[in-house]
Amino acid sequence: MTRSDAAPKARGGVGYGMDLEAPGMLWAALVRAPVPHGRIVRMELGPARRMPGVVAVVGPDEIRTLLPKGALEAERPVFPLDEIRYRGEPIAAVAAETLEQARHAAAAVVPVVESLRTDARIEDVFPEWPSAAAAKDPRVVGHVHARHGDVEARFRSADLVHSETYHTSGVHQVALEPHACLGEARGGKFRVRTSTQTPFGLREDLASILGIFESSLVVEGTWVGGGFGGKGAAFLEPYALLLAVASRRPVKLSVTYAEEFELGRTTLPSIIRLDTAVRGGKIVGRRVRLLLDTGASLPGRDFAVGYSIGFLLGPYRTETYEIEGFAVQTNKPPFGPHRAPFAPQSVFALESHIDGLARRLGVDPIEFRLRQVWREGDRTAYDQPVGPFGLEAGLKAAARTAGAWRTRLPAGHGIGVACGFWSTSVGAGGEARLSLRPDGLVILQGEREIGNGSVVHGLAVVAERVLGLSLAAIRVDYGDTATAPFDSGVFGSRTLGALGQAVERGARSLVTILAKRVGASEIHLEIKSGQVLVVAGRRRHKLVDLLTPTERAEGGLVVEGKFYGPEREVDASRVLAGSVYPYQDFTGAVHLAEVEVDRETGHLRVVRYAAFQDVGTAVDPSAVQGQVEGGVVMGLGAALSEEMLWTPEARLANPGLLDYRLPRLRDVPPIHVELIEGFAGAGPFGAKGVGEPPIIPVPAAVANAVADATGTRVFEMPLTPERVARALKLL
Amino acid sequence: MSFQLVHPSTPAEAVRLLSGSATGDIAVLSGGTDLLLDLDNARLAPKRVLSLRKLPWRYLRWSADSLVIGSTTPLRAVENDGEVRRRLPGLWEAIRDVGSPALRSRATLGGNLGRGSPASDLIPILLALDARVRVVGPGGVRELPVDLLLQGSRRTTLGPAELIESVTLPASAPSTYLWQRVQPVNDISQVGVATAFVPQGPHWRIALGGVQPRARRMSEAEGVLPSARPSHFEVELAAQEAARRAEFVSDKRATESYRRRLVAVLVRRAIQTTLERMSKATPSRKAKR
Ligand SMILES: Cc1cc2nc3c(=O)[nH]c(=O)nc-3n(C[C@H](O)[C@H](O)[C@H](O)COP(=O)(O)OP(=O)(O)OC[C@H]3O[C@@H](n4cnc5c(N)ncnc54)[C@H](O)[C@@H]3O)c2cc1C
Repeated sequence: MTRSDAAPKARGGVGYGMDLEAPGMLWAALVRAPVPHGRIVRMELGPARRMPGVVAVVGPDEIRTLLPKGALEAERPVFPLDEIRYRGEPIAAVAAETLEQARHAAAAVVPVVESLRTDARIEDVFPEWPSAAAAKDPRVVGHVHARHGDVEARFRSADLVHSETYHTSGVHQVALEPHACLGEARGGKFRVRTSTQTPFGLREDLASILGIFESSLVVEGTWVGGGFGGKGAAFLEPYALLLAVASRRPVKLSVTYAEEFELGRTTLPSIIRLDTAVRGGKIVGRRVRLLLDTGASLPGRDFAVGYSIGFLLGPYRTETYEIEGFAVQTNKPPFGPHRAPFAPQSVFALESHIDGLARRLGVDPIEFRLRQVWREGDRTAYDQPVGPFGLEAGLKAAARTAGAWRTRLPAGHGIGVACGFWSTSVGAGGEARLSLRPDGLVILQGEREIGNGSVVHGLAVVAERVLGLSLAAIRVDYGDTATAPFDSGVFGSRTLGALGQAVERGARSLVTILAKRVGASEIHLEIKSGQVLVVAGRRRHKLVDLLTPTERAEGGLVVEGKFYGPEREVDASRVLAGSVYPYQDFTGAVHLAEVEVDRETGHLRVVRYAAFQDVGTAVDPSAVQGQVEGGVVMGLGAALSEEMLWTPEARLANPGLLDYRLPRLRDVPPIHVELIEGFAGAGPFGAKGVGEPPIIPVPAAVANAVADATGTRVFEMPLTPERVARALKLL
Repeated sequence: MSFQLVHPSTPAEAVRLLSGSATGDIAVLSGGTDLLLDLDNARLAPKRVLSLRKLPWRYLRWSADSLVIGSTTPLRAVENDGEVRRRLPGLWEAIRDVGSPALRSRATLGGNLGRGSPASDLIPILLALDARVRVVGPGGVRELPVDLLLQGSRRTTLGPAELIESVTLPASAPSTYLWQRVQPVNDISQVGVATAFVPQGPHWRIALGGVQPRARRMSEAEGVLPSARPSHFEVELAAQEAARRAEFVSDKRATESYRRRLVAVLVRRAIQTTLERMSKATPSRKAKR
């Protein structure tokens, strides 16, 4: 496989957010709150305005005059109007001729603040596990409660009840490219160029934050230097646009890597309690309780709890259950999506718990999972029918590999297994415009490639498959929100699944139209000497001869492909508070890890790794393999070392890559990837999304391998050497 | 941030430039892997930065009984010297796991000593090998043991216009350096343990890093190991003694009790590895971790 973006990227020939420039451009810097919780008593912007090179300084007071509606009705104010809710929250912004002048001026704004009580952690808000009444606490910003069946009876009559509490940590996306954007405002029209995974979603978000019409704003994506969920919602754009209004000049805003960490919008800690009732060797009842730190988020975060809970129930038949979770507001930066949001942490808890339960019952952990894992036709906890699902096949494949590993397992080593469940977000729709020209196909759509290849390569491969045209004659083009057709964004592993189907539909209508024109029932396309040919049986027609005069004038045959996924439903009678989410399709992975544990220091080494990925259909197997390997490596970071550390004063203690430890090449074991095909998903040709699932089971697989090696369970992730040492009672 | 960069080409000129500036106004730059961070974080805001790049201090000089390493020699050059690996395995182990290959191509021995960090991976092995430091300054040249160069956490006894010229080590010694980090590459050691066996005097040297307020020799633990062939019991006792006597703190990288635990384990392993090296003609390739 050769990706069309590979060579330009290797040569530095593509532009990222950091590379943005415009004539007459100013540089911006943010003034950030000095306390995690408090009120601004006074903030003088005058002195900063008079500093060299400074062109504009904006704070809460300026918003009223700069924006049409003053943006005061907006749910999320650009700057805090009354309360600072996290340390480092932007409270004002500066634009100046140079970056250094902007940063100097920003540093010169020293607000007088009155500090308020800081809740740095979930435990500060709820020292004891909260009761149902906590749903009314103002610091609870999301609440979900659901139940099904006579849970109490099942727990009373159980042979065994397995109860545990797990803790997870904050994890950052760590995209190589920090956020960066360039805002322009002229005559009531706004334009922002930015490194984003969701241009259209961002347009909607910005319009609501700034109190402007979507039609007055154009968002143009740049190439994205890694997103992992962190480049979706509005982040720096409101400040750049506000400064552009104030200065009447283009304004560029980018952040340092330390700021990237401190501004957050990522995975935050959680506390998870799991109780499971077993009878006759099978799970008959589940209780799941969750406290999710959502940082300084505003109310309305039910979805965070709802999504987490789906992962905490897992891909298992659940006869009876009761689940309750709270999203808890703390004085950390607001949480945000991060590759497979909520899943690796929830699955760490669930799959550790299931594993421990199997061991307690004396049943092989893979065998135990096989007893309850979903098969097609089973019902989910919310009574949705399970579609084609490859985890049973994945578990069986994993059992064979685990058996082979176990025959030569050195002392001190252990093997762990974990399942991860995911649903491709094909419900979020998209559109593409396909122009078949005499010399090739151009696919115009609204997403920028974020790195995994699903846009630049995946969409082209879909068209290749339908049309028979070679990849070299297919170009994927980008537009801004004014010129490209709508798409929901690159998230939820949906790009190939949903936007790919828009392309597939567009390509199929091209086939239908052309078949009709040549009077054949089946056709395909070829390229010869730079000319697109329509092949029908033995006949070959030059495309150019089949076009109408108008089409020729317009450069080709243009069709729109649209795909909006079907609505799915859950049994709402089981949901007592908040909301839960239906699944679009059923995918996931089974992972195996072999670790070596230093029994004296708690140090872990992952010796080898295997991933069995349910892909439905691998549209491009080598691209899938790359996604799985990348996901495993990223998951190993969360499993072993990545952790945001906050002090009791809610200060991030490790805002940099020295102490926020990403996996290094030396930590990466050999990774065996096996694709499970044949369980069709909701994507084109039965494909399932593969962007997120490979990260999900990793922390659990590693933790279960540690338990296998030592007989000791670690209830907290990441499994740093010191945590493992404590679990082993070495200190 | 703006400063003037100066490149003296002789030690005398360097010392003159340093003597002519007030402390804080001038900073010394070797590989810059520590200094650039200080400048970036504005912990330092010098008017001038004095680069040692043009000084003739990049060398490894072997003689019958010693190795002299010039202070501006990149760590990568020491690591790539096959003789270092063969004759001073502990030094080689300490150096080859500093940061990453890219970092080691810039970082220098003089910079590591000049920094005097309690978390340094090089200071413990230099202590264990009885290294001596040659210093030039306004008063001429002086030589002192590494131990006397170190003062406190990130503090040395160097005068404001003094520079480290070179470090002198024995030409060979069975030795071992073991560290514990969360990650092997580009991470700071939670503790570091160096051991060496020297033929004359009290034979055993045990030095620790990741302890407070600075890396130090553990003479109490060394005293438990009287002979060239200590028993398992004596080795364990020395390890316990080192862990008991050292002072640790809790910080974001490790708690005090975990560091103490690690020292007890790693001292034992380091002595065992050194013993294995003594009994082999050629030292083994890699210490057991
Ligand atoms: C990512 C990363 C990873 C690291 N990993 C490790 C590690 O694993 N182990 C470890 O021990 N260290 C590590 N370090 C710290 C650092 O790289 C080393 O201490 C290095 O040896 C410093 O050498 P340098 O030449 O770069 O020093 P510089 O930054 O140039 O100087 C450091 C200090 O010493 C002074 N100085 C320099 N040369 C002299 C001299 N000749 N005489 C007097 N004073 C002098 C300088 O003024 C400065 O204050 C790491 C640093 C980073 C950024």
